[in-house]
Amino acid sequence: MTELRVRGLTKTYRRGEPVLRGLDLNVAGGELTAVLGPSGCGKTTLLRIIAGFVEPTGGTVAVGGRVLSGPGVRIRPERRAIGIVAQEGALFPHLSVARNITFGLTALARPDRRARAGELLELVGLAGLDARMPHELSGGQQQRVALARALAPRPSVVLFDEPFNALDSSLRGGLRDDVRAALRATGATAVLVTHDQQEALSVADRVAVLREGRVEQHGTPEEVYRQPASMWVAGFVGDAVLVPASAAGGIAHTPLGRVPLTTDARTTDADGDGTALLRPEQLRLGAADASATRGTVTDIRFHGHDTVALISVGGLPRAVAVRHAGPLALRPGDSTGLTITGTATFYPDAPPPSSDAATAEARAQRVR
Amino acid sequence: MNVPSQSLFRAGPGEKRRAPAVSRRRRGTSEGPRMSAVLAVPAAVTAAFALLPLVYLTVRSLEHGFGYAWDIVADGRTAHLLVRSLSLALVVVAASVLIGVSLAWLTERTALPAPRLWAVLATLPLAVPSYVMAFSWLSAFPSLAGFRGAALVLSLACSPYVYLPVAAALRGIDPAQEEAARSLGHGALGVFLRITLPQLRHAVGGGALLVALYVVADFGAVSLMRYDTFTRAIHTSYRASFDRTPAAVLSCVLVLLTALLVLAERRARGRARLAGTGRGSPRPAERLPLGRLRGPAVGWCALVAGAAVAFPLGSLGYWIAQGTSATWDPAELADTAWATARLAAAGAALTILLALPVGVVAARHRTRTAHLLEQASFAGHALPGITVALAMVFLSVRYAYALYQQWPLLVMAYAMLFLPLAVTAVRTAVLQAPPELEYMARSLGRGPLGTLRAVTVPLAAPGIATGAALTFVVIMKELPATLLLRPTGMDTLATRLWTHTGVAAYAAAAPYALALILIAAVPSYLLGRHR
Amino acid sequence: MSSLSRSPHPWRGHRRASWRRLTFALAGLGLVVPLATACGGDDEGPDEAGGEGTSDASQELVIYSGRNEELIDPLLERLEEATGTTVTVRYGDSAELAAQILEEGERTNAGLFLSQDAGALGALAEAGLLTELPREALDQVEPTFRAEDGSWVGVSGRARIVAYAPEQVGEDELPQELADLTDPRWSGEVGYAPTNASFQSFVTAMRVLEGEDATRRWLEDLRANDAQAFDGNGPILDAVNSGELAFGLINHYYVYELAAEVGEDEVSVGTHYLPGGGPGSLVNVAGVGITAYGGQEAAAQEAVDFLLSEEAQTYFAEETFEYPLAAGVTSPVEELPSLESLEVPDIDLSDLATLQETLTLLQDVGMV
Repeated sequence: MTELRVRGLTKTYRRGEPVLRGLDLNVAGGELTAVLGPSGCGKTTLLRIIAGFVEPTGGTVAVGGRVLSGPGVRIRPERRAIGIVAQEGALFPHLSVARNITFGLTALARPDRRARAGELLELVGLAGLDARMPHELSGGQQQRVALARALAPRPSVVLFDEPFNALDSSLRGGLRDDVRAALRATGATAVLVTHDQQEALSVADRVAVLREGRVEQHGTPEEVYRQPASMWVAGFVGDAVLVPASAAGGIAHTPLGRVPLTTDARTTDADGDGTALLRPEQLRLGAADASATRGTVTDIRFHGHDTVALISVGGLPRAVAVRHAGPLALRPGDSTGLTITGTATFYPDAPPPSSDAATAEARAQRVR
Repeated sequence: MNVPSQSLFRAGPGEKRRAPAVSRRRRGTSEGPRMSAVLAVPAAVTAAFALLPLVYLTVRSLEHGFGYAWDIVADGRTAHLLVRSLSLALVVVAASVLIGVSLAWLTERTALPAPRLWAVLATLPLAVPSYVMAFSWLSAFPSLAGFRGAALVLSLACSPYVYLPVAAALRGIDPAQEEAARSLGHGALGVFLRITLPQLRHAVGGGALLVALYVVADFGAVSLMRYDTFTRAIHTSYRASFDRTPAAVLSCVLVLLTALLVLAERRARGRARLAGTGRGSPRPAERLPLGRLRGPAVGWCALVAGAAVAFPLGSLGYWIAQGTSATWDPAELADTAWATARLAAAGAALTILLALPVGVVAARHRTRTAHLLEQASFAGHALPGITVALAMVFLSVRYAYALYQQWPLLVMAYAMLFLPLAVTAVRTAVLQAPPELEYMARSLGRGPLGTLRAVTVPLAAPGIATGAALTFVVIMKELPATLLLRPTGMDTLATRLWTHTGVAAYAAAAPYALALILIAAVPSYLLGRHR
Repeated sequence: MSSLSRSPHPWRGHRRASWRRLTFALAGLGLVVPLATACGGDDEGPDEAGGEGTSDASQELVIYSGRNEELIDPLLERLEEATGTTVTVRYGDSAELAAQILEEGERTNAGLFLSQDAGALGALAEAGLLTELPREALDQVEPTFRAEDGSWVGVSGRARIVAYAPEQVGEDELPQELADLTDPRWSGEVGYAPTNASFQSFVTAMRVLEGEDATRRWLEDLRANDAQAFDGNGPILDAVNSGELAFGLINHYYVYELAAEVGEDEVSVGTHYLPGGGPGSLVNVAGVGITAYGGQEAAAQEAVDFLLSEEAQTYFAEETFEYPLAAGVTSPVEELPSLESLEVPDIDLSDLATLQETLTLLQDVGMV
């Protein structure tokens, strides 16, 4: 169990804006942290610095207390014992599956190497494919081999670079589970870089949201989703319904009604005007009675497992999204009642939600 | 999605996979790990090695003081030679690009009958020494002497330098692009001009540079065709005045000219280097039906092959049939051929070995140092063989006497002369191997050297083999340096050819020329055939 | 996305791998084989120039020969038999070999330099790289055909002649001086070889004897008279022989060589030696000099003696139809007029080293 510690990391490429601006990140031993961020946020640079391919401008990277990059220290990539699983695997096309896996095992005797390859193939569910060439494998299989190859030398840290990006969505789920299982089995600390929030939330123990070269929030997937540190995070991680609110005594008053605030150090004593964050699934449609806020359906989007209805509500410049499990009997133009469940996160002194700028930006980046 | 996307190795903001080839180039080269000593040191050694003749040239140029040297540079004749060399180079580059690109397009993209045959024939001019080609043309058409003849022969002889990289690049361009363009309403020619040709820029540029350098350094064709260029003037200077200073000064100007040409090519290549270099497409392109143009297309291919290969071969046959001096000894021929092949193999091996670090550095690093290293390796290529040979005499007599007139020295001179051929091949080959695989190897615990051995070199092997074959062929034909540096008493096919033609014993010379062409044809054939 | 199963690289399988291995094996062989053969057997012939270690009984001699191997090799075999010297020869262009000896300086391997013309020998003598020949050797040759300082001696001579077609030119019409060839009567009827070294030596001699201006005028007149430029002496002779030309400016031995090759009956060419001791009857020599630093003087002197011996002189005369130069030897070729009968210009052949000026002149008048 080896902890990865990144402190005050900065990186400026020649003739350019800084890519990393004092990034801190701790990944506990044996834990999988997803680094989530839009393109250009520096997550790839972070990975390359951890791997040792790029020298940071400042700051330190340490694994298990051993400084790998830092002032006056620069351990070469091959001395770091950090494994990498790249997009689309990056298998050596001229080597068989077995030789790909044993590539990093130069210190072992040949029979041991072969045994280790078999063991790993078993672990990633590809037993018996040792003699195949990479081009004879499917994309998912290639990715599994890439994982096996990265794990073979028993690295203390494994880095994943958007490893599921190139796969059909039907394959992703299975592979994610297998990656988790394999990581658990080996106990390696892992960092997974992705711009896909679904992936980050579902696969990781913790999620670090990166924005403009800094970690905006680092927490469990649930924390990041439920209590985003900023409206930007809120908009980037999942769909957000941001409404103007005034808070008092742990309760927010919004155009959608009253909602208790999430108990959190940031928001408990923040009375006054601000913005409240709700998730579309916290809104319920129902009869337009006295207990509910009234709204008009403007659009219905059917997603299969659920349906999103856009409801325009008096006092809000934009329609709010409501996620409803299963089919919905409403049509555009119908009026409906809205109720809120759960709690809201409150951002005091935040700009009025009508501008919606932050969320729009985050949404746009996420969609890309 | 046959091109792997490599966001792990992308520096800073990168576009999503819209243009993978472009972004890869930028990523792979500008922000890799630092140039490691394992590469940098041998690359520097190669560069220093390639620059060795300059030591000699400097000593000789300044022997009689700077003023004397400057007078030679400032002489009107030097400018005149410069204009003559450059205008010949310009015409030959244009013609060989025309020949090379048209043949490549015909053999790779159209429904030309027997495309493989024509592909091999398009490569075969490599096997024919330019002096043999020039001699055969001149003896049939004496009026060709001069600019026209030199331009004709050199264009034919050099066209494979363009054909080979362009054909490889054409195979690498995803035919889907061309199909998309067709579906958007562009005709075949329009697609070629607007979609295909721009992507061939890198390949054409690299080939054109080699052609230009070849023309500037060639002695055989220009001397037979009696067209004065720098190289011919350098030879004449040794011959006419026994004063080595003018030759050295002119050689220095030539080195400068080379540097400018290399620089110009890099400029023309531009920053956005497109895939260009044979990534191997998922499927071969549909061949374009030629229709009524089938006849002219075949005619064009046949014309080039006939003029560059069949005609010289026919001349050789004619000499054998005509001559009375044909008292050749098959055993001696076989011995000479074997010695030549061994020498060329050793030369090619050393050249590739030296070119490897420079080629990898040039492919993987875009720093000024990398540029300088690559540029330095080109120094010897534009120098006439005799200058490099005399430099080797000068240096080895003084500092490595044990090597003097031993074959390793000759092999070193070959490497000096032909390094750029190998460097270009290695660079192109390495560019095709995704850099991310090297990062993978590093992360798996292999050092820079181990990575080179286990990943880069095996992946680039076909391209490296191409470079070796090319170098082998060119070395076999080399004469001036061979004459001066060979171990006393040793003969190559080229020197035997020279001996016999020296007494006008063309019938006796013909078998050696034939053997030279046939042996050189083997790697040329493989070059044309092997993808 | 459907092509995910493809390898990330164009490489497709094992077939290529074996081809690759083969190339590398071959490349390896390329380095090893010559090394092995060079170290092991000595089948290249003696490769150690002037080397020691062989039996003391025989001397060794390294000759740099600017004369063609076809011509010289049989003669040198006789030299070995006659003197017991082991001879190694390095063939090349005379001027380039001279340049090589100049670069080698005091560490030259060459014991003897056999040159096609006097100019190359003169250049070495000027650089002090030739040692003075013994008096006995020098005395065998007319002073015209050797260096004044005794640094080299001619071994065979080539006379410039005017070859003519007897059907077109009557005996009484033969030119008495060079100027006659520019007579409009012979417009388009004279062949010359401006790039040929012998022609250039002849022009150099003309410059030395008659001055720059006169030479330039004559060349211009020749050109104005539509004289035909050829590649070499052979093609000129062919043209005269076929009656295509009336006159050809060539070396004497070409005529006799042609007669020997195709038979006397097939040759109808007259040989005319210009009277008056002008440049048109120049006799240039192939000569020999002993290097000052080759350290093989004894063997080299024996070789010089051999080359001036009746056997060698006769060999040159018979093989090349050149003039023997050693006293007391006359050419066995009956048709050849004796050297004494020729009106040879009085000129120091070492002065013919100013070829650069000649070339410039030829360029100026547009001949090359």
